[in-house]
Amino acid sequence: MTHEEVHKRLTAVFRDVFDDPSLGISDSTTADDIDDWDSVNHITLIAAVETEFRISLSTREVKNLGNVGDFMKLIESKAR
Amino acid sequence: MSFLSIVFAAFLAAGLLVYHNAPQQRRPAILLALSFLFYATWSVWDAALLLAVTAGVYGAARLLDQTPTESRKLRLLTAAIAILLVLLVGFKCARLLATHLAAAWVEGNANVALWLAAPLGLSYYIFKLLGYLLDVYWGTLPARRDFTSVALYAAFFPQIVSGPIQRAEDFFTQLDAQRGSDPDSFVLGLRRILFGLFKKVAIADQLAVAVASTHGHPLEHSSLELLLGAYCFSLQMYADFSGITDIAIGIGLLFGIRGPENFNRPYFAANLQEFWRRWHMSLTSWLTDYLFVPLRMTFRHLGNTGLALAIFINMVAVGIWHGPRWTYAVFGCMNGVFMIVSALTLKKRNQWFKTRPAMARWRAWVAPLVTFHLVVLTHIFFQAPDLHSALNYLGQMLHLVPHGAVAAARVDLASFGLTYGRLFQALAGLVLMETIHWAMSRRDWTHGFKRRGLRWAVYYAVIVMVMLSARGTTSFIYAKF
Repeated sequence: MTHEEVHKRLTAVFRDVFDDPSLGISDSTTADDIDDWDSVNHITLIAAVETEFRISLSTREVKNLGNVGDFMKLIESKAR
Repeated sequence: MSFLSIVFAAFLAAGLLVYHNAPQQRRPAILLALSFLFYATWSVWDAALLLAVTAGVYGAARLLDQTPTESRKLRLLTAAIAILLVLLVGFKCARLLATHLAAAWVEGNANVALWLAAPLGLSYYIFKLLGYLLDVYWGTLPARRDFTSVALYAAFFPQIVSGPIQRAEDFFTQLDAQRGSDPDSFVLGLRRILFGLFKKVAIADQLAVAVASTHGHPLEHSSLELLLGAYCFSLQMYADFSGITDIAIGIGLLFGIRGPENFNRPYFAANLQEFWRRWHMSLTSWLTDYLFVPLRMTFRHLGNTGLALAIFINMVAVGIWHGPRWTYAVFGCMNGVFMIVSALTLKKRNQWFKTRPAMARWRAWVAPLVTFHLVVLTHIFFQAPDLHSALNYLGQMLHLVPHGAVAAARVDLASFGLTYGRLFQALAGLVLMETIHWAMSRRDWTHGFKRRGLRWAVYYAVIVMVMLSARGTTSFIYAKF
């Protein structure tokens, strides 16, 4: 899966979870940049990503995510 | 040794002199010695327990770091967490058991209950050490090699009585930065201590008189007075707890360590989720990271049921963290139920208000009021000594229980120990406190505060109110957890 493809599908997941069709994400996006990105929505996002990319993430992997760039790298490594 | 005693003031002054005159590399050890000295004045045995628990956690973290296989790591972590939780729950329940034993069999011998009382600050340092272990396990923090820093993290005396619960990473980063003696930090620290004293003495202690009367003798009060008493308790607890937090943060700053904030004007929160993000923040953010997120992860494919389960367990944990009492469990359950309803309907409510801008303007005012009243309701259970008393208070407040001779709408300030002067002083204090909080929440607040006239006007107002209110020392509500 290419980086662009992951970015496109992840953006769609973000837009769906945060209910914002115009939401854009980049590697440097963090929870501080999106109003509704709290601990509740964070796990909703994780679950949605797992379903979308058919992967399974552990608490440790989720804990070590710093920004969307980390998230994309993790998805790419898992979704091969 | 209480924070509000002359002995503590002398201890602090002597400690600061020794600490700031010592070479940089010796300062952590000096601070550790001061912390244990402070703690040992409460109980030498409790200090020995703290040292033993810290040594165990230090060793477990080192082992975790060196263990190569995941399954072994998990076994080690589970064993360490189990021991810490058994200690926490064991001590908390032993006190309960001992109280009953003392009452039933060892009549007149209160020493039994005292001997088995939970060590001071146990809930705080166990949570700190649990967090440290989990950080090392998750790989977000390496295990510390030097024992002094881990022991200091657990025993740091400004935070051991009633928090805030600082995260290991934040504490170690500041410790490693080896900041010298910084005058700015010193001034900030003194300012916070003064602000904390003001909250405690000029607000909390004034309202405490009314609370003691309404909650101690509800039968002697009207429904309206009991409602006022319930408001008074919620406001007293806010001033009291944020007061001791300010003093703790202030003392920490005098030694160059900035503790985390615990409050962010919680009674202006628009819903219960937001309230808990702004109230006792160091505990709720701890529970969010180390309990709620793992629970949410476990239940993540159960949809809203999973969310509701995670919220409920988390809030019950918030409740019983305060102690093994049914009132705290009910307090946690009520918060859990309110929060589940609020979290599951929030999206729908937001959409509804989006299409009705006029109503949305009202919502901005009404939502914090509704949230505040929900909190006041849960605090009736938090404050009561047992469920029967809480239900009795609630029944009389809502006029559901026959009420004797007192008219429901009577408001006789004298009957609950208040005078108009004292009430006015507490209210003026609350307004000043929230104004200062609001100013501090603005990024440019330090610029305004640089104006010497304004700064000293606030200092004088605060000092005069403290001096007018001081009526001997009382203990802090959150020092018993």
